[in-house]
Amino acid sequence: MATDAKKPIKLPRTAKGKKPVYFDPVTDKLLSMIMTLMGELSVVRDRLDTVERLAEKAKVFKIDDIENYEIPDEVNAVRMERRAAYIARVLKTVQDELDSLQQDDGADGAAKK
Amino acid sequence: MLQQIMHEMFPTPNHDEEARQEFVNDFRMHLATKVCPGSVPAYFKRVMPAFVKEHGREPKDRHEIRRAMTRDPFYQMWSAMQRSSQEMVWDSVIDSVERQLPDLIAKAAVLNGKGSLTLDPELEIPKYHTAFDIHLQPGAYHTDVVQNDLAAGAVYDRGSFIYAMGGLGEHNDGMGRITRNFFRTRFPGRKLERVLDLGCTIGGSVCFWSQQEPETEFHAIDVGAPCLRYGHARARAIGAGIHFSQQNAEALNFPDASFDLVMSHIVLHETSRTALQNIFNECYRVLKPGGVMLHLDLQQRWGQSPLDAFLGEWEIYNNNEHFYGQLKEIDCGEVAVNAGFDKAKFGIHHVSTTWQDDQTPYGESSFQLPIYLAEK
Ligand SMILES: C[S@@+](CC[C@H](N)C(=O)[O-])C[C@H]1O[C@@H](n2cnc3c(N)ncnc32)[C@H](O)[C@@H]1O
Repeated sequence: MATDAKKPIKLPRTAKGKKPVYFDPVTDKLLSMIMTLMGELSVVRDRLDTVERLAEKAKVFKIDDIENYEIPDEVNAVRMERRAAYIARVLKTVQDELDSLQQDDGADGAAKK
Repeated sequence: MLQQIMHEMFPTPNHDEEARQEFVNDFRMHLATKVCPGSVPAYFKRVMPAFVKEHGREPKDRHEIRRAMTRDPFYQMWSAMQRSSQEMVWDSVIDSVERQLPDLIAKAAVLNGKGSLTLDPELEIPKYHTAFDIHLQPGAYHTDVVQNDLAAGAVYDRGSFIYAMGGLGEHNDGMGRITRNFFRTRFPGRKLERVLDLGCTIGGSVCFWSQQEPETEFHAIDVGAPCLRYGHARARAIGAGIHFSQQNAEALNFPDASFDLVMSHIVLHETSRTALQNIFNECYRVLKPGGVMLHLDLQQRWGQSPLDAFLGEWEIYNNNEHFYGQLKEIDCGEVAVNAGFDKAKFGIHHVSTTWQDDQTPYGESSFQLPIYLAEK
């Protein structure tokens, strides 16, 4: 238990004891992940709120400026691209299944020829 | 969430940690007020009718209801989210404690003030603490990770506050307020030379007592060393004088007849059947003749109907509160008599948790806690 100043302290993170199964182990984990994501999004939103308020206080811009911001076309294009990539990233697990289905198809098709 | 009062030992969260803790609080508030109540219509509208259709009668007890309800999608969803939210409470707090632990330990080392701390590294931690982590606090009350560790206490200070959604009050001393108010209403002029608090954790309740009764010598014991180290430093930080020591309530080091009052706050349901009897025996032994034993614990009644009973059992099966279910079925009067107390001098009283109006989600008078009271 010697305290090593260089080594970061790691406190226990997992509670000892049997965890009940609610739906099934996989669904339970997915649900936990969603709730953690909910939490993290809320954290980011709070942080952004702090940034906006500090910016207004420092007279960088007004929070109203955000509401009144007119999105230039080129900015919109960048955002659309980023959103598409984001959606694809989150739905990757669905896409993976589709991809492998199509791959099987291809393989089958090749074998039949 | 209600603001918790900071003190020098408080594991102050940074911006994002606080945002995470606030989220967990709000999320749990939502689950408690908006989602959990849906279990009742889910039961009456589909679970119960389906049960009646299959068996030709209504479920006869909470066990039958549990088997049916844990297959209902609405209940499953609430229950799974409630479980995750409990894990998130601790996780959101451990971040800030882990980050600040060396500082907190250093602060504790230099805090001066009243009171004392006596640890017993040889003390064996009871099995009911090592077998599983009660209410899912990772490492429970007793795990030391570094030298002079006090993380478990710091985590408990903030985590229990969030768990109770602020219901323990801004100083985390709500239960102490309840017991003191109860005691002083019943025994207004009673002189208290020495008082013992069993299973004090970080001394949240006993600190309130000591601030109200400055003439009294307060002792507080627990099995968990990191909680006691934190509790001792915290007591000093808020100017309370308590003598903390690491002991098992089942086998105390104090001489016979040495206290005017021995009390505990939500400790009994976290022990075991054998421990409960041992603890009552020890209370009897260390009390002076005429001394008072007072234990505040969680609701012991199962409720009016099997459904109430089922709704009241969630923590037992989902939050590692395993003994709580057994405690509900034990006659504490009998335990007290076995310990030597006179049956006529034992009673169970119910106190409402409205210690501070409008500030606790448990503020309705229907939410009552039992106090087991006996005079030697
Ligand atoms: C829920 S906490 C109590 C909270 C505390 N009394 C307060 O007022 O804030 C339960 C505590 O009881 C302690 N405990 C359980 N069994 C014990 C025993 N046999 N001897 C001493 N402490 C015990 C645990 O270590 C834990 O700290």
